[in-house]
Amino acid sequence: MQKEGITVNEEQLLYSSSHEWVRLREDEGGKVATIGISAFAVQQLTDLVFMELPEVGRQIAAGEEFGEVESVKAVSPLYSPVDGEIIAVNSELPDRLETLGDDPYEKGWIMKVRLTDESSLARLMDYSAYQKQCSEEG
Amino acid sequence: MSYLFNTPEDLQQMLEAIGVGSIDDLFACIPPSLRLDRPLQLPPAMGELELSRHMSALAASNRCAEDTICFLGGGSYDHFIPAVVDALASRGEFYTSYTPYQPEVSQGNLQAMFEYQTMVCQLTGMDVSNASLYDGGSAAVEAVLMCLSATRRDGNVVVPASVHPEYRQILETYLINLGTQLVTVPTDDGVVDPDALAAVVNDRTACVLIQHPNFFGCLEQVEAVGRIAHDAGALLVQAFDPISLGLLKRPGDLGADIAIAEGQSLGNPMIFGGPYLGIMACRDQFVRRLPGRIAGQTTDRRGRRCWVLTLQTREQHIRRDKATSNICTNQGLIAVRAAIYLSVLGPQGLRQTAEQCLQKARYAMQQIAASQRFEAAFAAPTFKEFVVRDTEDRVTQLLRDSCQHGILAGVPLGRWYPQWQDAFLVTVTEKRTRSEIDALAKVLADGGRAV
Amino acid sequence: MRNQTSMRLIFELSRSGRGSTVLPPLDVPEQHVQDLLPPDSLADAPPPLPEVAEPDVVRHFTNLSTLNMAVDTHYYPLGSCTMKYNPKRNERLSSLPGFLHLHPYQDEETLQGLLQVLFELQQTLGEIAGLPAVTLQPAAGAHGELTALMIAAAYFRDLGQQRTKVLAPDSAHGTNPASARMAGFQTVTVKSTRAGFVDVDDLRAKLDDSVAVFMITNPNTLGLFDQQMSQIADWVHERGGLIYLDGANMNAILGIARPGDFGADMMHYNPHKTFSGPHGGGGPGAGPVCVRRHLGDYLPAPVVSRHGDRFTLEKLPPKSIGRVRSFFGNVGVLLRAYCYLCTHGPDGLRRVSENAVLNANYLLSRVKHFLPVPQGDRCMHEFVASASKLKKETGVTAMDLAKRLLDYGFHAPTVYFPLTVPEAVMVEPTETESKETLDAFAETLFRITGETAELLHEAPHSTLISRPDEVQAARKPVMRWTSE
Repeated sequence: MQKEGITVNEEQLLYSSSHEWVRLREDEGGKVATIGISAFAVQQLTDLVFMELPEVGRQIAAGEEFGEVESVKAVSPLYSPVDGEIIAVNSELPDRLETLGDDPYEKGWIMKVRLTDESSLARLMDYSAYQKQCSEEG
Repeated sequence: MSYLFNTPEDLQQMLEAIGVGSIDDLFACIPPSLRLDRPLQLPPAMGELELSRHMSALAASNRCAEDTICFLGGGSYDHFIPAVVDALASRGEFYTSYTPYQPEVSQGNLQAMFEYQTMVCQLTGMDVSNASLYDGGSAAVEAVLMCLSATRRDGNVVVPASVHPEYRQILETYLINLGTQLVTVPTDDGVVDPDALAAVVNDRTACVLIQHPNFFGCLEQVEAVGRIAHDAGALLVQAFDPISLGLLKRPGDLGADIAIAEGQSLGNPMIFGGPYLGIMACRDQFVRRLPGRIAGQTTDRRGRRCWVLTLQTREQHIRRDKATSNICTNQGLIAVRAAIYLSVLGPQGLRQTAEQCLQKARYAMQQIAASQRFEAAFAAPTFKEFVVRDTEDRVTQLLRDSCQHGILAGVPLGRWYPQWQDAFLVTVTEKRTRSEIDALAKVLADGGRAV
Repeated sequence: MRNQTSMRLIFELSRSGRGSTVLPPLDVPEQHVQDLLPPDSLADAPPPLPEVAEPDVVRHFTNLSTLNMAVDTHYYPLGSCTMKYNPKRNERLSSLPGFLHLHPYQDEETLQGLLQVLFELQQTLGEIAGLPAVTLQPAAGAHGELTALMIAAAYFRDLGQQRTKVLAPDSAHGTNPASARMAGFQTVTVKSTRAGFVDVDDLRAKLDDSVAVFMITNPNTLGLFDQQMSQIADWVHERGGLIYLDGANMNAILGIARPGDFGADMMHYNPHKTFSGPHGGGGPGAGPVCVRRHLGDYLPAPVVSRHGDRFTLEKLPPKSIGRVRSFFGNVGVLLRAYCYLCTHGPDGLRRVSENAVLNANYLLSRVKHFLPVPQGDRCMHEFVASASKLKKETGVTAMDLAKRLLDYGFHAPTVYFPLTVPEAVMVEPTETESKETLDAFAETLFRITGETAELLHEAPHSTLISRPDEVQAARKPVMRWTSE
């Protein structure tokens, strides 16, 4: 089990094409995914002013919308990269949105999902593939 | 043409600069087959003097509250409008400006919006107000839509029959396309029986919409109804009369989640139904679902306090098909009028206005009921309007005859409530004098025959 | 002259016990309020409104008004908003006591003059649209759109057809998709071509029997007339769908082309734009809707009818969608529109559009040399320039240009709309401006493009406030004044 406080290596994360990152760990025989949004996405969204978190306990499918982040004049939906049940959300985050930019891969995590199906993992990108996508978009 | 500038010389220079030979060439992009090949069939233009005569003659052919004595209400009221309201709101800088998209040159409108929002919060006891909606009816429907989205329930919406019948018609029109049922609870005694209401509220109910004082002028048991709604996980929307809040407890103090009102009473003429003012305020937790524009306070780059449109991500121009409302226009100028009106009245002026409405309405009811022919239709306490039952059941004729004598005596209820063809709604504002009320009682007692 | 000494809120002027008495003493026998109303329904005190003297109110709101730019004081070329001159005669004549003090539940017999105005307005709007059935009830343009979509929903329900989709171009106003959702439809976006027109291949690919309505703005939000219009209408009609025309840009085609003649089945007007408003700082507006005769049965009620020389308010017809607003609608706005239409007549209306289009093309011809207009050399009543190149070269954005214009005494054009043009600067001069004003505007804009980026990033410099912090306003919203 990964301890909090250890610097996360973003090169070891998985990424979705809609800019969510995924960190996997084993837990009681199942997989739990911690999910956030990438530094690149936060930078593109500019000054964030609001975010909406999902409810704990909700079943979510890969590709399904689970929340929103807002800047002054844009709303960006957040899409789950995995299938499973939401077991935790970072409830302090909406009051400290700057964390998303300051520490996107550690304190800026958004939710934890206990996977019910691992097939969607195959569609995620590794760091280098994601970097390539970002350079094309940027 | 009165409002055009271009002289023949201007026209030539402009066409040359553009590089075309004639104005017609500018319309070459419209295929000839799609163009109108004849002049519009409309009457010829009128100059200002002609138009003034024309409009004056048409206006004079109406009978209005200035040349009659008006006891009509039901959502549109003949309250007194202090001269200050017209004098200030008719400034061109208010009425010929537009939505404050450029805050640097719209601080007047933005600050007025912020002050209006604050006054609505003070008036209602709610946390947050928007900068206005179209009218009371659209505020009612927008509040219900907010509740559908906030509760994630779309099964039904519960409304007593004592809510303004036109608001209920609007709800019907909107909800049919959303697959949500409008459940109407009868109000045979002029108010809703909380037990009867409780029987239809269930776990698919998004909200209860109650009006207090209601369409008949009667006071409802808002707190009891609110408890029923909340116990079922539904929300409570209260439609209120802004003037009544000079005396009555505020929606925020009665447990309403969303408070809405027709704000015409606050310094606006009746003008046959509009433009009016949709007031809407809610508790903090619903602010992200509040429709319409909102002014918010901030500071500028030099640190000076100022105001901007805020929380714009709620709105259609950003959220498009995900917006909870399509509202774009507000009633800016009417909201400014309301803010000016409330500033002039202040707490004591509002209380005095409310008290005079109450006292005069009660006096009128007693004078009318002194005739054997009439009785108060409902026992529930009333504010500034009340329903009169004509035991001879000749309401249409009675009201028409009264009108002949220069008195607009009331609004017949039969058009919305077929069971009450024998009843009419009488409204008494602070503007009515004792002698006018006495004249009303007499003309009714005489069966409309003489004063 | 602007008084800059006070920017205080009215609440900060309040002193307990101050205020104005407006009413004469009560002239009926006074009873104890506690005897008239249940004590538990009564508030302990009236609402904590500000307590100010009348002269305070006058000075406060007068000073506030001077902080606004307005059509009466400044050139206001705000694209898509048609900020034309607001005739003073309309203000006076719509406020005659015989209109102002009419109660909506008066007997029809006492309203004949007003009903004649409203009936004639229905006729006039129907003639200009080429769509004869008219409702005046909707309170704003977006409300008109929604009304029309609800009419479409009722119509297809009546036909027993399951149509779930509304198509709208990507350049459409945000109200279009939002209205579609409220009417229970799903919106499908249709692409625009590089030239700004409907991408007909994309349209045809998305057009099937589940489409209820295609919403189109023509002239479109780029100020261009889409020549494919009648072809598009044919395709939509072949599949049984309806065409809805967003009438926001009617100022370009009054008496020149009629939506009903070029394929529209339904449309709304924005009388506060096209028929000279005013805009009232954001409202009130109105949104009359015109439809083809066979859709007329579905209009919301009441509508005004004529029987001989009497005018009546028609009760709810059996197929009517019902009501969309309380009472009749925004009558005050409609009276002004009526005055405007009477002032112009058929020739005058045509000249309005001719001059609106002339002014826009003239300004376009002066601006395009230094601020590219991606969609070409000609336009209708407005055009959309792009500051994209400028931004790449100097870092100066459309917003910077807009803000700097304020320093020179011009209201800014609409910026960042439509969404399909990067760094959009949308200019609608209107017909009620002189060539001198247009020249001055073009020269000023040119001069600004030569100013330093540092200067422009911090513009405006001459206004009371500059660049308010919108992030702060949205993060920690303060939406009312509190005493602490």
